[in-house]
Amino acid sequence: MKTSTPVRLPSKLSPHSKTAPGAQGIWNGTISFSLVAIPVQLVKAVDSGRISFHLLHNKDYSPLQRRMFCPKEEKIVPPDEIVRGYETGPDKYIVITDEELASVSPERSRTIEIIEFIDMKEVDPVYFDHPYYLVPAKGGEKAYRLLTEVMRRTNRAGLAKFVLGEREYLVAVYSSEGALALITLHYSEEILPDEDISPKEEKIESAEKTHIEKNIRKLMADFDPDKYADRRRKKIIDLLKKKLKEIPPVEAPHVEEEAGEGPADLLEALKESMLKVKKNR
Amino acid sequence: MSRKAVGISGRSLSLSNLEKDLYPSYGFTKAQILDYYRQVSRFILPHLKDRAVTLKRYPEGVDKDFFFEKRCPSHRPAWVKTAEVRRDDTERMTVCLVNNLETLIWAENLAAIELHVPLSRAGSPEIPDSMVFDLDPGHPADILACARVALILRDLFSGLGLASWVKTSGRKGLHVYVPLNRGEVTFEETRKFSKAAAMIMQKTYPDLVTAKMAKEFRKAKVFINWSQNDSSKTMICVYSLRAREKPVVSFPLAWKELEKLAGTGDPEKLQIMPSEAVRRAEKQGDLFEEVLAKKQRLPYL
Repeated sequence: MKTSTPVRLPSKLSPHSKTAPGAQGIWNGTISFSLVAIPVQLVKAVDSGRISFHLLHNKDYSPLQRRMFCPKEEKIVPPDEIVRGYETGPDKYIVITDEELASVSPERSRTIEIIEFIDMKEVDPVYFDHPYYLVPAKGGEKAYRLLTEVMRRTNRAGLAKFVLGEREYLVAVYSSEGALALITLHYSEEILPDEDISPKEEKIESAEKTHIEKNIRKLMADFDPDKYADRRRKKIIDLLKKKLKEIPPVEAPHVEEEAGEGPADLLEALKESMLKVKKNR
Repeated sequence: MSRKAVGISGRSLSLSNLEKDLYPSYGFTKAQILDYYRQVSRFILPHLKDRAVTLKRYPEGVDKDFFFEKRCPSHRPAWVKTAEVRRDDTERMTVCLVNNLETLIWAENLAAIELHVPLSRAGSPEIPDSMVFDLDPGHPADILACARVALILRDLFSGLGLASWVKTSGRKGLHVYVPLNRGEVTFEETRKFSKAAAMIMQKTYPDLVTAKMAKEFRKAKVFINWSQNDSSKTMICVYSLRAREKPVVSFPLAWKELEKLAGTGDPEKLQIMPSEAVRRAEKQGDLFEEVLAKKQRLPYL
């Protein structure tokens, strides 16, 4: 029998998820420009509040896995039979191998090299992609504090190129309440054209303008995000709490798994490759 | 003690005891050892380059006492390149970098018959540039059983899109290398991967393979030693001589050759002697060249 484990609920409402947001580092390296190099760790600044659900088999509540299915052969396709294809037209593809893709991927880098210092106010929010914090690593505290302070005073943000995962990002490093924050920016070619959005110019009555202005003024406030919450999320959590009180959670059958042998995907891929080797022998 | 002065690339070296037979039951003198290493130098040097080499020295011959020398001897000539590496958490040590012919000949003059190298370079000791599987047969399993295991490993990896290369250990086993050369993989990752591969081999071929270190499990089976994937471990360098009864070379093989032998089976054909090593290397080039060059990514980690 399984020992009962505490029931996990989404953070904020769950009493034992007190870990600091994004305490886990995603990347270690240095921020540098001219002769300055500051060791830092990149951590998440946001956690999407999405409540995720597992997909279970309704007969025995086994968690389900995703597999690639070939509709023509009507069978599951193992990883080594899968290639990438770029669609050029109906039923027409250019096949790209992992090697070809790797050959155009940037080498992983250990530095965030600041190339320019810009005014963040000039950056249209449409460019903002994903925010992170930079935490000073051992030995970098003093230089970190100095850079944070100077960037705050001069109102400048560092524009840098930075490789994370498979991609090279354009990022802005800026000072935020005594810390350095980093936001990945969209490249300009990713920004969709907006010419067609603003309507054709028509003469606007000045009375109408004043009316709108008055109404805006009436609703003016300081930005206080705490006043708002994702209502659906809150309702889902309430629902979960209610259900938990009424019925105990269902239990998935225990699957015999050899622990500590490696990541599940790797084991799966090795198993499939092994199966093929055995068949051909 | 007899001495002979030689000049190599403008450096002068005093070679000693050249007539001494260091393989007494076979008959292979220090002069022959030096000559072997000179002849394969252009093949072995790229594999030694910038690595913290361990010299396994047999000053009195292969049947007598030997010692491992990790630190570069302090009496080295000034032109021997060295690197500072971490020995453990606190201590650092100076190691030799056998980066050119004169250093190679100097090391061989110290009777460093076996040259062992880490899987990483001295400048980036925590980044392996290949993943290795050390196949070691437990009696009465032999090198041909290793050949079968090596071929299965090759196919297992090619199913994951990874190319691999093989060499003889120069003793009874084989070494399978999966080059990575990407400057970003860690030993933790190669260990995780190699362990998973060894485990699945053991599970699929329980009569042929074991992944367990303990001797009692290794009888009549091929032990896949995946734990060599560690920054503190070294492997015998390809083209190095081994200090056994006979001067056998750790020599790279073509998979085709192994396929042929795994079937019919004369294990002696996999004992490559110095003269054959030189002849074959000159004819076919360095079969292990790609181990230093091929960039591959370990999937699913």
